[in-house]
Amino acid sequence: MAALPQLVVSTLLLGGIYALIAVGLTLIFGIMRVVNFAHGEFLMLGMYLAFWAFALWHLDPYVVLVIALPVFFAVGLLSYWLVMQGVIKASHNVQIFTTVGLSIALQNAALVLWTGDYRFVRPWHASEVVRLGGAALNLSQIVAFAVAVAFTGGLMAFMKFTQAGRVMRATAEDREAATLMGIDTERVYRLAWTIGIVCVGVAGVLLSPVYTVYPQAGLQFVLLAYVVVVLGGLGDMRGALFGSLIVAAVETVGAYTLGIAWKEVLYFVLFILVLVFRPAGLFGQRGAETLGM
Amino acid sequence: MRRHAGAIVLFGLAAVAPLATRDAYFLDTIVLILMWGAISSAWNVAGGYAGQVSLGHAAFFGIGAYSAAVLTVHWSLSPWIGLGLGMALSVVAGLVIGYLSNRLRGPYFVLATIAFAQVLLIAASRWREMTMGSEGIPVPFKQGFWTLGLASKVSWLYLTLAFALVLYLVQVYLEVSRMGYQLAGVREDEDAAQALGIPGRRLKVIAIAMSAALTSAGGTFWAQYVGFVDPFYVFSIDLSVLFALNAIIGGAGTALGPFLGSILITSLEHYLRATLSDIAPGLIGVHLIIYGCLLIVMVRFVPQGLIGALGALFIRRARTARGERLART
Amino acid sequence: MLALESVTKRFGGLTAVGGVSLDVDEGDLLGIIGPNGAGKTTLFNVIAGYYRPESGRVVFEGRDLTGHPPHEICRLGLTRTFQIVKPFGNLSVRDNVMIGALTRVRSVAAARAEADRGVERCGLGDYADVVAKSLPIGLRKRLELARALATRPRLLLLDEVMAGLNPAELAAMVELIRRVHAEGVTLVVIEHIMAAIMRLTRRIVVLHHGEKIAEGVPAQIARDPKVVDAYLGEEFTLE
Repeated sequence: MAALPQLVVSTLLLGGIYALIAVGLTLIFGIMRVVNFAHGEFLMLGMYLAFWAFALWHLDPYVVLVIALPVFFAVGLLSYWLVMQGVIKASHNVQIFTTVGLSIALQNAALVLWTGDYRFVRPWHASEVVRLGGAALNLSQIVAFAVAVAFTGGLMAFMKFTQAGRVMRATAEDREAATLMGIDTERVYRLAWTIGIVCVGVAGVLLSPVYTVYPQAGLQFVLLAYVVVVLGGLGDMRGALFGSLIVAAVETVGAYTLGIAWKEVLYFVLFILVLVFRPAGLFGQRGAETLGM
Repeated sequence: MRRHAGAIVLFGLAAVAPLATRDAYFLDTIVLILMWGAISSAWNVAGGYAGQVSLGHAAFFGIGAYSAAVLTVHWSLSPWIGLGLGMALSVVAGLVIGYLSNRLRGPYFVLATIAFAQVLLIAASRWREMTMGSEGIPVPFKQGFWTLGLASKVSWLYLTLAFALVLYLVQVYLEVSRMGYQLAGVREDEDAAQALGIPGRRLKVIAIAMSAALTSAGGTFWAQYVGFVDPFYVFSIDLSVLFALNAIIGGAGTALGPFLGSILITSLEHYLRATLSDIAPGLIGVHLIIYGCLLIVMVRFVPQGLIGALGALFIRRARTARGERLART
Repeated sequence: MLALESVTKRFGGLTAVGGVSLDVDEGDLLGIIGPNGAGKTTLFNVIAGYYRPESGRVVFEGRDLTGHPPHEICRLGLTRTFQIVKPFGNLSVRDNVMIGALTRVRSVAAARAEADRGVERCGLGDYADVVAKSLPIGLRKRLELARALATRPRLLLLDEVMAGLNPAELAAMVELIRRVHAEGVTLVVIEHIMAAIMRLTRRIVVLHHGEKIAEGVPAQIARDPKVVDAYLGEEFTLE
C-alpha cells in the first residue's frame, strides 16, 4: 500500500486536467446538443500555441495562459460563425459530420503547417519534482491541476450565480421555453461554444509541458473526454467532475496494476459498459440516450 | 437501364482500362478507387440505407484484414477461408453493434461505434501471440488464386471490379426490394415504420450485420493486396471516417455515391502522395484539409452529395423520390 | 372486436390512463373525446403496443395483445395513425403508401399498384410523385390515413386526423372516413372538433384525467352534465 499516496495524488492531478477538458465538452453538448468531435483539435491548438510561444519567444506556458484566453475566445467565435452557426438547427448526423470535418481539417492543417514531428515544451518547472507525503509530483502537473480546478470552479460558479449562467442553464433545459421567454438562444449557443473552446484551449496550454505535442495529440484526449462526459452525464458539470475523477482513477490504477499497455482498454470497456447499462451517465437524464439527447 | 447508366460507364471504363494502359501506377489507382468505393458502399448499407451512422466500421475492416493474415501465417490456410471467417466474426460484431443501435440513438451510438473500434485496435496491437502485436503482420505472398496471391495488377483490378459490382448490386437491391423500402421507412421515421408493421429493430440489425460482413470482406482483399496488416491503420478512426466520407460526399443512400466519392478522394490523395512525396512531403496532408472543409460544406449545403448535385444539374425533374433518396443527413 | 379491460398506464407518479374499460364491436365507428391531457393518445399508444400498461389487458379478435410490439399488432390487423403526423419526408407520396402496402404484399410491383389505388382513393392522385415533406398539413393528414389504410387494417385508430384542417379539407376528410368505414373498416377516432365527431360517430366515449366519465350516443353525450362540465363548456347543441 506504499503506492497509495502516489496513486491518489496522480489520480487527482490527472482528474483535474480531464475535468477542464470535459467541462467544456459537456457545456457544449448540454446547451447546444452538439457532440463536438473536433474538441481534441482545439486542445492540440492550445498545445501548439504554448509550444511556439516557448520556442520563438521563450515564454513560459503559464504566461501564455493569459494570452490564450483572448486567443481562444476569438478562435471560438470564429469557428462558431464559420462552421457551427449554420448547423445548430440541423439533424444530428449533419452536426456530427460537420464537427468531424472540422476535426479533419484542423488536424491536417496542423500537420501541413507544423509537420508531424513530436514537439516538446520544456520550461524549468517541467522537471521540478515536489515531494508530498509519500508521493512525488511534477511541478508542472501541480500547476496544471491548480489552474484547471480554479477554472472549472470559476465556470461552475459562473453558471450557477450569474444571470448569463442562469440564462444558459435555462436554454439547456428547454430550448423552446427559453425562446418564448425572450432569450436570444443564438447568443447563448455562441457563448457556450466559445467558453467550451476557451476551456479546452487553456487545457492544451496547461498540458504542453506534460505531454508530447503533435497534430494527433488531441485524439487521445478527446476519446477520453467523451468517456468522462458520458459517464458523468452529457450536459452535467458535476458529472464531468466526478467522471473525470473516476476515469483518472481507472487509468492510474489500471496503469499501476496492468501496465500502461492495457489501461486504455479499461476505460474503453468502461465506456461501452456505461453506454449499455446506464447511457445517461451518473447524473444525466434517464432515457436521454434513446432520444438522442 | 437508364438509372444504371452511370454505373455502366464507370465500371465499364474500369474494365477496359487494362487494354489502354499497363502503367502500374494508373492501374493501382483504379484498384484502390474500386476497393475503397466498395468498402464505403458496405458502410453505406448501414449508414446510408439504414440510417445508422457509424464511425467504427474500421472494426470490421480490421477483423477481415487480420482473419486472413492470421490464418495464413499461423495455419497456412487459404485467405479465402480467412475471408469467410472474417465475415462470420464481423457478423457477430455487427450483431453487437446492432444491439447497441437499438438502445442508443444519435451521437451516443456514434460514440459507441468509435469506442468499439478502439478496443479492437488496442487488443490487436497487444495480442502478440496471435496478431504479432503492434508490429503488424506481413501477409505472405504465394502465387495463385486459391492463396489470393495475384501478382499482376490487372488480376487485382478484375477481382476488385467484381467485388465492387457485388456491392453495387447489393445497394441497388436495397433500392428496389421490399426489404429496402421497409428499411427506407425505418430510416425516415422508425416509429412510423413500426406502426405500419415493419420490424424496425430487426431490420436495423440485419442491415448492420450485412454491412459488417461486406466491410470485412473488403478488409481481407485489401490486406492481401497491400501485403501488410498494421493494427494502428486497419482499426483506425481515420479509416472509419474515410468510409463514411466517401459515401457522404458521393451521396449517402445511393448506390453509385460511394464510388463517386471514392473517385474524387482516392485519386486526389493518390496523386498528391505520388507527386509531392519527393518534392514537398510537408504538403501531403493538404488533401485532407480540403476534404474536411468539403465535408463541412457538403453536409450542410449539398446533403445529397455529388450524385444529388449532378442530378440537379443534368436531370431537370421535379423532386422525385428516386432523385432524393437520401440518408437522413 | 377490441376489448380494453381495465387498462392503467402510469408515468412515475402520474396516472395517464386509469382503469379504462371499453368495447369496440366489428363495424363500429367509435369516437373518443376529452380535454387535453385526458389520456386519449396514451390509450392509443397502449393499444398499439408503444406502451406497456401497468395493469389491464388489450384483447383484439380474441387475442391478448398486451405487451406485443407495435409492428406485430399492425400485422394482426390493428393500425394506428399519429396525432403529429409522421410522413417519410424524403420519400414520395406513392412510396410512403407503398411502404404501408408492403406489409401485406410481398411483391414490390403489386404493392406499388396497390399504393397507386390507395393514393387515388384518398384524393392524393395529383401528388403521387411529390416528396412528402413538401406537402401542406391537410395533405399530410390524408397521406397519414392513406398509408395506414394500405396495411389493410380491420381496426383503425385515428388520432386527431382532422386537427389543423380548413373547412373544405375537413369536409373531405369526414367524407373519406365515412367511405373507409363503409368499406368495412372498424374505426376508433380521437377528435377535438365537436361538430365533426358528433356527426360522424355513432357512439362516443369521454375521457377525463385518464378515466372514462361517459359513454353513449352523441345526443346523450352532448347533454351529459359531467361531460359539459369537464369538456364541452356550455350545452353543446347537436344540429
